[in-house]
Amino acid sequence: MNRRRFLAGAGLAGATALAGCGSLSSQSTRAPPLVEDRPDATYRPTHVEGMGMAGMAQAGDYMVGLTYSFPHRFWTVTGTTAEKVDIRSEDSLHLMATVWDPETEMVLPVSAGLSITVERDGETVADKPPWPMVSQNMGFHYGDNYALDGDGVYQLTVRVNGMSERRLGAFSGRFGEAAEATVDFDFRQSTLEQLSFEEFPDTQGERGAVDLMTMDMIPTSQAPAVSALPGTVLGTDKGSDAVYVASWLREAAFLDDGQSYLAVSVRTPYNRVPLPMLSLDGRVAVDGETAFEDALTAAVHPDIGYHYGAVVETDAAEPSVGVDVVAPPQVSRHEGYETAFLATPSFSF
Amino acid sequence: MTGRGISRREFAKSAVAIGGTAALAACLDRGSASVPEGTDDPSTLPARQHAWNDALATDDAGNPRMPRHHVLLLLDYAGDGTPTDAHRERVETALRDLERAYAWHTEGLLFTLGYGPAYFERFESGPAGVDLPDPAALAPFEDPDFDTPDALLHLASDDERVVLEAEEALKGTRGTANDREMTASFEGIFNESDRRTGFVGAGLPADNQDVDGVPDSEPVPEESPLFMGFKSGFKGNQATEDRVTVESGPFADGTTQHLSKISLQLQQWYEQDSRDQRVSKMFCPAHAAEDRVEGVGENLGTDSGMDECPEDAVESGRRNGVVGHSQKMVSAREDDAPRILRRDFDSTDGGQAGLHFLSLQGSIADFVATREAMNGTDVAENAAVGQRVNNGILQYMTVERRGNYLVPPRSLRALPPASPN
Repeated sequence: MNRRRFLAGAGLAGATALAGCGSLSSQSTRAPPLVEDRPDATYRPTHVEGMGMAGMAQAGDYMVGLTYSFPHRFWTVTGTTAEKVDIRSEDSLHLMATVWDPETEMVLPVSAGLSITVERDGETVADKPPWPMVSQNMGFHYGDNYALDGDGVYQLTVRVNGMSERRLGAFSGRFGEAAEATVDFDFRQSTLEQLSFEEFPDTQGERGAVDLMTMDMIPTSQAPAVSALPGTVLGTDKGSDAVYVASWLREAAFLDDGQSYLAVSVRTPYNRVPLPMLSLDGRVAVDGETAFEDALTAAVHPDIGYHYGAVVETDAAEPSVGVDVVAPPQVSRHEGYETAFLATPSFSF
Repeated sequence: MTGRGISRREFAKSAVAIGGTAALAACLDRGSASVPEGTDDPSTLPARQHAWNDALATDDAGNPRMPRHHVLLLLDYAGDGTPTDAHRERVETALRDLERAYAWHTEGLLFTLGYGPAYFERFESGPAGVDLPDPAALAPFEDPDFDTPDALLHLASDDERVVLEAEEALKGTRGTANDREMTASFEGIFNESDRRTGFVGAGLPADNQDVDGVPDSEPVPEESPLFMGFKSGFKGNQATEDRVTVESGPFADGTTQHLSKISLQLQQWYEQDSRDQRVSKMFCPAHAAEDRVEGVGENLGTDSGMDECPEDAVESGRRNGVVGHSQKMVSAREDDAPRILRRDFDSTDGGQAGLHFLSLQGSIADFVATREAMNGTDVAENAAVGQRVNNGILQYMTVERRGNYLVPPRSLRALPPASPN
């Protein structure tokens, strides 16, 4: 396994670790106070933290990367409510797992989720499924705060469940099976404390986002640029601060003659982090006639990325499309995303 | 079984979990109230081994209340091939001894003895008239190991002395039960392949929460009968004993039994989820929004109030982004009645918070259908609800083991043939 440190690229370039401060761990458990008047939108957080590498391994069709940072506050989402999770005094770190396809390096948000067992000397230290999460600098990942038992080598066993999302194109027939991998993680408090911790006293709370990290070994989750989406882009709109891109494919290997495909890619503003776990309804009308009216299905495709789609029985070139958000993305949020993407807008393309 | 030295502190926590003669001795020293005696006339006892409801106490609302202490013994038949008549006779005698010693009552002793598919493989065919499949994984996200003992003995009582003493008496390490002589035991007939224990009832989960899976903040409410902080097993959410009874064939008056061993991970449940989130996930989001659940749910009466939750769990889940455990179970009802009778209880076996999910049903297929509803795979499809996240309580539990059994009628409980005359 690889234990080298992965400090952030773009977003943290030039950030200095608070050398000589000597109180980084207590600083993390006393994270800066939240911004008082947070917009109902993506905003710049009070701070960002660097990240260390805990290990990586192949598990079946998946690659799994495990990283860590200081314990975080984060928000879980049920319905349209975000509930804050506070850092506990016993929390040692925020442990994160990223799952991706080693062939395309696409990060896969698996709604079936994964579980992580943390063991040391054969004893279970922690056993819980981390939350699916989005973070401005980390993108989509699974994460939670964990209490470890001091410095030492821990075995992290990750079980990734099989994807239930529709898998299209080259992803067809892949990622259907659960798989498991174990890595050794040599945890040292002193190494954790060397991670960067950069505050933004002047810009915190402003609408905007810190940049996505670039990492050497682990891809970050980013939806394709609108211009890179296959097919015809019917339109781009924004609602509850998320960006919705509707595209229309009349030709694809997974379509039969006379069929087309509606794909709705939902991503964060600024960083294009895909937003999974939405309930979406879609309508397609051709020449005033309804060609499709039903739930859209979460799907992954090498070129479209993670999206919500439907096969429609028409080969019309210019359909009119309606999309209703029935429930907002139920992914947990790191700071800066917890007030965004919580409403249920509707769109016409 | 040899006695092991135990500290008083350990005893205070888990005499039944520790088990053996030492735990029993400590228990007997402490107990004072007498245990009601049983009957010399077996014909006064119900034909169904699983006829417990009339022998159970009820809570204030009128729900049958499970005995507080439980022991499960997974047993392998010591002989090769089919059992001998001599063994049958000794097993029956030992069980009748227990029925003489203890009243068939929650303050006395309730028990069942069931048999797994491995037992019936000793015969030329499976149990006549009953489909008893090998256990299987019942969700795409679970990977359980399978229990394949010949037999499963379930001992239950409100009195921990009783389950411990009955166990030792059956094992032959104790010559008396409730001061009555044991004239036979299972010694030389059954070998124990696993021993599991547990408890259910107000106070017990709180007293036993110092285990893996429950955070150190001691969050389990004192009044909760189960680790997750809510009541379950409401009368209206349980199949009747009639409903779970095999109707015809030689095993009529029997039932099928499924036992799963589930580990609980409750740190997120108690320290990250809010009360509203817990109520949403256990019952339904409407119960949380309307504040319908007080405390552990004592105010709910005799059912979980699903009439007041949206009936279509799939549509409700799509709209709310979360679906309740109870809400999902509505779709498993048949003729508007639940298909399984839960007799589950919590556990600290192996120092891990867990649940021995023991359920009775007319056919294992009833259990499979009920579990399929709980999986919520249909809810997660095309919805913001994850396969485990916001999908009832699936996120907080892992099914470790599964096993299936046939609990024959009382008349066939002792090493029955597969095709009784």
